[in-house]
Amino acid sequence: MAMDEAKKKELLQKLAQGVTEFDDDMVREAAEEWVASGDDTYDAIFDGLVAGMEEVGRLFSAQEYFVPEMLMAADSLYIGLDIMKPHMIQRYTGVRGTVVIGTVQGDVHDIGKNIVKMMFDVAGFNVFDLGRDVPLEEFLKKQLETNSDIVCLSAMMTTTMMGMPKVIAMIKEKNPNCKILIGGAPITDDVAVKFGADGTARDASNALEEAVKMIVALKNIQKEAMAKAGK
Amino acid sequence: MTQTMTARDRVMRALAGEKVTPVPCFSGVGNVTSAGLDKLGYRFANVHNNAKMMAESAMTTYELFGYECVVMPFDLCLEAEIMGCKMNPYADSSELLYPTIKEKSTPTTEQLRAIARDPELANKGRLPLMREALKIVRAKLGNQVAVGTYVLGPFTLGGQVSELEHLLKNAFKKPDEMLEYLDAMAEVIIRIGGHLMESGYDYISVREMGATTDVLSPRVFKKIIAPALTKVAKGLKGPRILHICGQVGPIIADMAACGYDALSIDSKTSMKAAREAVGPGVVILGNFNPFAVLNTGDAQQAYNAIAQCVREGVNGVHPGCDIWPTAKPENIQAMMRAVRETSAD
Ligand code: B12
Repeated sequence: MAMDEAKKKELLQKLAQGVTEFDDDMVREAAEEWVASGDDTYDAIFDGLVAGMEEVGRLFSAQEYFVPEMLMAADSLYIGLDIMKPHMIQRYTGVRGTVVIGTVQGDVHDIGKNIVKMMFDVAGFNVFDLGRDVPLEEFLKKQLETNSDIVCLSAMMTTTMMGMPKVIAMIKEKNPNCKILIGGAPITDDVAVKFGADGTARDASNALEEAVKMIVALKNIQKEAMAKAGK
Repeated sequence: MTQTMTARDRVMRALAGEKVTPVPCFSGVGNVTSAGLDKLGYRFANVHNNAKMMAESAMTTYELFGYECVVMPFDLCLEAEIMGCKMNPYADSSELLYPTIKEKSTPTTEQLRAIARDPELANKGRLPLMREALKIVRAKLGNQVAVGTYVLGPFTLGGQVSELEHLLKNAFKKPDEMLEYLDAMAEVIIRIGGHLMESGYDYISVREMGATTDVLSPRVFKKIIAPALTKVAKGLKGPRILHICGQVGPIIADMAACGYDALSIDSKTSMKAAREAVGPGVVILGNFNPFAVLNTGDAQQAYNAIAQCVREGVNGVHPGCDIWPTAKPENIQAMMRAVRETSAD
């Protein structure tokens, strides 16, 4: 039995509020109710869970929330996501892609990386997380193994970020089509250009936006190549 | 008169709250440079586990630039190793990297209390090496220069030996458990820091950078972190510096209330605001960004940044975190010059 608009609105509100207030039970109940209705869960994920997370991001910028609050909100979001993702009808199937993500060698800062990863999980990307303090060659190895569309590198220190251009060169040499997105506190647009990355983003939602743009560009390249080959 | 004091006297008096002119220029955290390592022909990755190499490297910043201290160790893994964690010095890496913890031992509160009571503690990890290194420094420099050391604060050390994410959430979700855990961690720190001070180090910094307001709310700092930091201050003898980097404006008064001899802040916190918040009686060390001032900028910029610290009334010119080894020698020289030339009598 499909839900009426009022019910939908009520559940969206609960999903968002559950994330913003890290109320795991509120998120779980609302997500289960949504799934039981048989409706597509796409809106519930984006207009419910993600909307809640966006509010968390706003509160974080306003310094009303701090890192613990952000981590707890992420936990609540994952609870809803695990319940609803199997029931989501992908809208932009052409846009979904595979991502390899990790924090570069010498750097154990992984809180920001984990938040970026969460956005990719939400959006239905296939994510391979290499963790933190990842030896530079591991990124290339995993990229080749998974043939990922995108590699995401995170570094929080001015020193460890110097490992990034090395990874980028290694990957671009073997696989020039793979897109590389870098981020972390010391990364600016200028640094990204200098390092030969395809893009950067200040925070997790911008990272996702960049990634989607990259995938679209990639698919276009593939289409053109196929057209040229006369297929 | 102050001119004839040794570097050690100058630092010790500043930490005791006396006015020293020019203000001392020293650090309570890592300050070994590539310039120093190159002179000795040592690789950074190799100096952490060898008393002689550590001592010789530590002295170079004083010897080459007149920087007014010798500080050991250079990494953040000393206590964690004693607590059963494994350190990675990146021996094979071509880059210069700071050692990190590669295997966490995740001790429980009870296990922490047991570590704090371990009768064999003085022989664990690199504590014997730390004693040996101090002897080497004293044999060469005597009491000319103050020799400092540091430990992590209870929360930050918790993040080294177990998952920081978990602690961050627990600080919020299970405050009572967290208070117990940090209280036990404070006991471990008092044992380790106390042992270092008894073996003859002149001053000690407690580095609680995991608890800056960039990460934790001022409310959580006051309720959960400050009690353990206060316990550490009470338990340690000798000049103690509380060092927290990042933005600490909203918690500086709470930091002052923890009972340390001096507070150390970085460039993200305004010196003026800090001074206003704690009053003239509190010793504040700070507050330049070492990477921007000593590594990326030029010598003139370094001079200006340091002159500003002096002008704003720091009791000691001190970096916001470790000096990164590739600091430019000419910038360090400019820093030392700025301190001499701009400190008013
Ligand atoms: C928490 C923390 C730690 C924790 C890390 C725990 C962990 N598991 O992550 C601990 C205590 C272990 C630690 C240790 C050290 N730290 Co620290 N740490 C921090 C701190 C306070 C917060 C970082 C954080 O988590 N922020 C919150 C998250 C949500 O934000 P974020 O990481 O910026 O991520 C966002 C964006 O950057 C972006 N993003 C991140 N990754 C990616 C990737 C991609 C692809 C994209 C597109 C976007 C993106 O999106 C994220 C979400 O919005 C910062 C200071 C600060 N205020 O930033 C210092 C800081 C990063 N640390 C620093 C240093 C120097 C160290 C140490 C060397 C010790 C020291 N002297 O303090 C050690 C070294 C450890 C090592 N070798 O890695 C310096 C780095 C200085 C520099 N410029 O090089 C900083 C800036 C503090 C300072 N001013 O001194 N640290």
